[in-house]
Amino acid sequence: MTLFLEQIVNGLVLGGIYALIAVGYTMVYGVIQLINFAHGEIFMFGAYFTFLCLAVLKFPLWLAVLASILLCALMGVVIDLIAYRPLRNAPRLSALITAIGISLILQNLARMIWGAEPRRDLANAKSAFLSQTVIIPGGAQLSYLDLSIIILAILLMVGLNRLISLTRIGKAMRACAQDKMAASLMGIDTNRVIGATFAIGSALGAVAGIMVGMRETIEPTMGYYKGVAAFAAAVLGGIGNITGAMLGGVVLGIAEVLGAGYISSGYRVAISYILMILVIVFRPAGLLGRASAKRA
Amino acid sequence: MISMSSILSSRSGLILFFLCLVPLATAYLDQGDYLLRICSTAYLYMLLALGLNVVTGFTGLLDLGYVGFYLIGGYTAGLLMARLGWSYWAALPVAAIHGGLWGLLRGAPTLRLTGDYFAIVTFGFSELLFRIVKNEEWLIGGPNGFVNDIPAPTLFGYELWQYWQQYYHILILLILTLLVVYRLHNSRIGRAWQAISQDEEAAQTMGINLHEYKSLAFAISAAIGAIGGAFFAQFQVNISAGVFEFWESILILCMIVLGGIGTLKGALIGAAILGSLGEVLRISLSWMRLPADSRYLIFGAILVMMMRFRPAGILRSTQKSP
Amino acid sequence: MKQQTLIETAPYRALCRLEIGHICSALRSSLVLLLIFSAAFLLTAQEAEAAKTIKVAVAGPFTGSVAAFGEMIKKGAQLRAKEINGNGGINSKELELIFEDDTGKDKEASLVATRIASNKKILAVVGHFNSSCSLAGKPIYKRNRIVELSPGSTNVNVCKGSDYTFRNLYRDDFQGSFSAKYIKGVLTDVKTVAVFFDNDDYGRGLRDSFKQSAEKAGLAIVADEAYDRDTTDYKAQLTKIKSASPDLIFIAGLYSQAGLILSQARESGITAQFFGADGVDSPKLLEIAGEAANGIYITTPFIFGLEGNEEAQRVAIAFEQEFGKAPDTWAALTYDAVGMIVEAIEKRGESRKAIRDHLGSLTSPEKGYQGITGLTYFDENGDCLKPAYVKQVVNGKFVAAKVQFLD
Repeated sequence: MTLFLEQIVNGLVLGGIYALIAVGYTMVYGVIQLINFAHGEIFMFGAYFTFLCLAVLKFPLWLAVLASILLCALMGVVIDLIAYRPLRNAPRLSALITAIGISLILQNLARMIWGAEPRRDLANAKSAFLSQTVIIPGGAQLSYLDLSIIILAILLMVGLNRLISLTRIGKAMRACAQDKMAASLMGIDTNRVIGATFAIGSALGAVAGIMVGMRETIEPTMGYYKGVAAFAAAVLGGIGNITGAMLGGVVLGIAEVLGAGYISSGYRVAISYILMILVIVFRPAGLLGRASAKRA
Repeated sequence: MISMSSILSSRSGLILFFLCLVPLATAYLDQGDYLLRICSTAYLYMLLALGLNVVTGFTGLLDLGYVGFYLIGGYTAGLLMARLGWSYWAALPVAAIHGGLWGLLRGAPTLRLTGDYFAIVTFGFSELLFRIVKNEEWLIGGPNGFVNDIPAPTLFGYELWQYWQQYYHILILLILTLLVVYRLHNSRIGRAWQAISQDEEAAQTMGINLHEYKSLAFAISAAIGAIGGAFFAQFQVNISAGVFEFWESILILCMIVLGGIGTLKGALIGAAILGSLGEVLRISLSWMRLPADSRYLIFGAILVMMMRFRPAGILRSTQKSP
Repeated sequence: MKQQTLIETAPYRALCRLEIGHICSALRSSLVLLLIFSAAFLLTAQEAEAAKTIKVAVAGPFTGSVAAFGEMIKKGAQLRAKEINGNGGINSKELELIFEDDTGKDKEASLVATRIASNKKILAVVGHFNSSCSLAGKPIYKRNRIVELSPGSTNVNVCKGSDYTFRNLYRDDFQGSFSAKYIKGVLTDVKTVAVFFDNDDYGRGLRDSFKQSAEKAGLAIVADEAYDRDTTDYKAQLTKIKSASPDLIFIAGLYSQAGLILSQARESGITAQFFGADGVDSPKLLEIAGEAANGIYITTPFIFGLEGNEEAQRVAIAFEQEFGKAPDTWAALTYDAVGMIVEAIEKRGESRKAIRDHLGSLTSPEKGYQGITGLTYFDENGDCLKPAYVKQVVNGKFVAAKVQFLD
C-alpha cells in the first residue's frame, strides 16, 4: 500500500509538471489552432535563464526565478510577434512548420551557448530545505521540492482558472478562442490577446522548467520529451480546454508512473501514447473537450 | 510507341536523361560516391514525400506518423532478407503489401476523425511502433531494433551494392512511384480525394464513399512508405530503431509543405531540397569555416524564413478552392 | 476502337502530360542542386590538393543528444594530434584530423561514413562512438577498405564479419560478466541485486550478460527495470526497486542518466550499494550526482590514477592544461586510438591497406599496442581483449578500488 501511495505521489509530481506545460500548448491551440512545437523549448529556456541569472548575474534565487519567468513570457510574445503573426492568414500547416523551425533554432542555440552536457547547477542552487524529505500520512515519502511542485501547480492552475473566467483579458481570450473574427468585430485587439496568451503559457512553462531543473537536470534536449508528454496531456484533456489540460497532465503523470511500476518500465513512455490514442478514438474531443470531432 | 528521340525532346525526358548520366560524371569526381549517396538519399525522400502527399496533400489529412510505415517496410524487408534469406525482389512487394495493410488498419479507427485529432493518432501510432521495435527483442532479434547484415539485392547473379547501382535502383523506384501517383491524381480517384480535402460533407453528398476513398489513400500512402523502407533496409545494411524516430515524420512533412502542399512537383522539389540540405550545409559550413554544429540551427532558420516569405510553399497548390 | 487506342497509348500520354510541367522543374531543380554540389566538390578537392598532410578522420556525435561524449572524443584526439605534431609529425608530415559529426544517429553516420570513405586522402577512421553508428558505417568502410577503429562502441556485433572494423575497448558481454564476478568475489555482503538499465543497445547488452552471469554466480536478481535515455525522472522505477530492497543496484547506462539516478535514489531513501559500468565512468558523474555518487563502484577499461601508469597521469595533466577540464574514459580511448593509427602509418606506410594490415597483425599481447589505457590487441574479429579495472567514488573522487581482478 505504501508502495502504491508512493507511486501515486510520484505521478502527482510528474502530473503537476505536465499540467503546467500542457496549459501552454492548449492555450495557444485554443486561440490560434497551432500546435506550438516551440513550447517545449521555452520550458527548457526557463531553466537555462534561471541558471544564467544565478551564475552570471549572481542574482539571489528568488530574483533569478522571477527574472527567468518574465524573460520566458517575453520570449513567447516575441516568437509570436516575429514568427507566427505574419502567418495568421497563411495555411495552418505553414505555421506548424514555422513552429518546428523555431524549436530547432532554440534547441540548437541553447546547445551552442551552454553545451550539450546536462547541468545540475539549478539543483545545487536550491536551498537545502527543499531536498529534505517529509513522510506524509500513509507512509509515503517525498521531498519538500516535490511537495512544493504539487502545491505550486495547484495554486497556479486555480489562479489561471480565475484569470480566464473573471478578468477582462480572460474573457477576451475566451472570445478569441470561440471566434477570432467575431471577437475583433466586437472591438477586441486579437493580436494583443494572442500575445497575452503566449505570455501566460510561456510563463507557466518557465515555472515548470525551473522546477524540473531543480529536481532533475537542465539540458538542451529536455524540452522534447517533456514537451511531447505534455502535449499528449493537452490532447487527453481535450485540446483547447484549460481545465482539461490540467486534468490530462495529472492523469498522464499517474498513468505513466503506474505503468512503469506495474506493467513494464520499457514501455513507460509508450503508455501515454496508448492512452492518448484510446481517448481520441473513443472520445475524440478528449476527456473534457467539446463533443464535435472536428477541429480543423 | 515511345521512341528514344521523343523522350529526349521532352523536357522531363531530357532532365531524366541527365539524371541518368550523373553516375558517369561522379565517377570522375574526388568524392563521387558521397555525391551519389546524397542523391540517392534525396531520391528516397522524394519517394517518401510522394507517399505522404497522397494522404496529407490529396485528402488533406495531416499525418504526423508517416515514419511508421517506413519502419514497417524497413523491418519487414530487413528481417525477411537477413533472417529468412529471402530475395530482395520478393521481400519488396511483401513489405509494400504489409505496409499497406497497416495503413488500412491504422485508418479504420481514424476514419471518423479529421484535422488535428487524426494527426495526433497518427503520431501516437508511429511512436508506439518505434517503442515496440526497440523493446521486443523476440520479434526483431536484437535490442534497440538492430537488424544486421541485410544482404544486397542480386540481379542475374550480381550483387547490387555499389553506389551507382543503388542510385539507379532508387531512381527507378522513384519514377515508377511518380507514374502511379500521377495517374491516380488525375483519375476519378484523385478527384474524389480532392473533393474530400475541400469539404467532406459536400463530397459525401455528391456520392463519394468517404470511407472507401480515404482507406484507399491510407493504403497507397502506407505502401509507398514501406517501399521506401525496404529500399532503405538494404541500402543501410545494418538498421536500428533510431532511424525511425518522430523527427523523420516531421522532416518529410516539412518537405511537402515547403514545396507546396497538394502538388506532386511541390513534394518533389521540397524533398530534393530538404533531403539534401543536411549534407549541403555540412559541405558548405566546413567550406566557409563555420562551426559544424550550427547546421541544425541554420536548418531551422531556413524553415522559418521559407514559411515567412512563401507561406504556401515554393509552388502554390493548384487545387486551392477558387 | 477509340477506347482501345486510348489504352494502348496510355503510358505515352502519361509521359507527355508529365512533360507538360509536372516533374520537369522538380528534376530541373535537382539538377541545379547537383551542379552546386559538383562545384563545391571541385573546390574542396582543389583545396585539399595544396596541403601535404596525413589525414585521419574522427567521427563521433559532436552534436545531438549524446554530444557530451563527442566533446571528449574530440578533445582526446586533438590532444594526441597536438603532441604528435609537436614531435615532428608522422614521418615529418603533419597529422591532420578531420572531424565528422554523426550526431549519434545511424542515418547520419552512413552519410558521414560515405563522405569519409570516398575521400581517398583519408587513411583511417577513429570512430564511431554509438554502436548503431559503428554498425551503420561498417559495410561502407568494409567496401572501401578503410579501417574503422571505434573508441566507444561496445555492442557485441560491431566487429563481426568485417576485417576493417576494430575497437580498443571490451565488449558489453565481457564487462557484464566481469561485473557479476567482481560483485560475487569481492562484495561478499551482497545477496540480492537489482538491475536498472538504459533501454538501448548498450544498456540491454550489458544487462543481459550481467543478469546471466549474476544468476550463474548465485546472486538473486530481485528487480529488472528499464529507463529511456530521454527521460530525466526515474522515481517510478526507483520506487519499485526500493520495494524489492536489493543489496546492490547495477546501473547499465550512461553517466548523464546514472548521475541523476544516484541522486534521485538517495532522495527516495534507497541505501543500496551502486555498481556501474564504463558508460558511467566520467568526471561529469560526480558533478551531476554530487554527494550521492559516493560509494559507487565502476568497471572501466582503464584508471588514470593507477600506480605505475605515469603516462596516463601525464596525459591527464596535459589534458587539463589544454582544455581546462579533466579527461574521461572516452578521451583516453580516443587518445590511444589516434596513437594506434599513427603507429600503423609509421611502421607500415601511408595507405589504407597498410593500416589495416598493421592492426590485423596485433593478435597477441606481445605484439599489442601499449597505450595509456593498457595493452590493446585484437582477436580474429577485431574485438579487443582488455582487462577491466574497478574504481570507486570516495569523498567525491575516483580512486582505484582496493581489490582489482586482473586475470
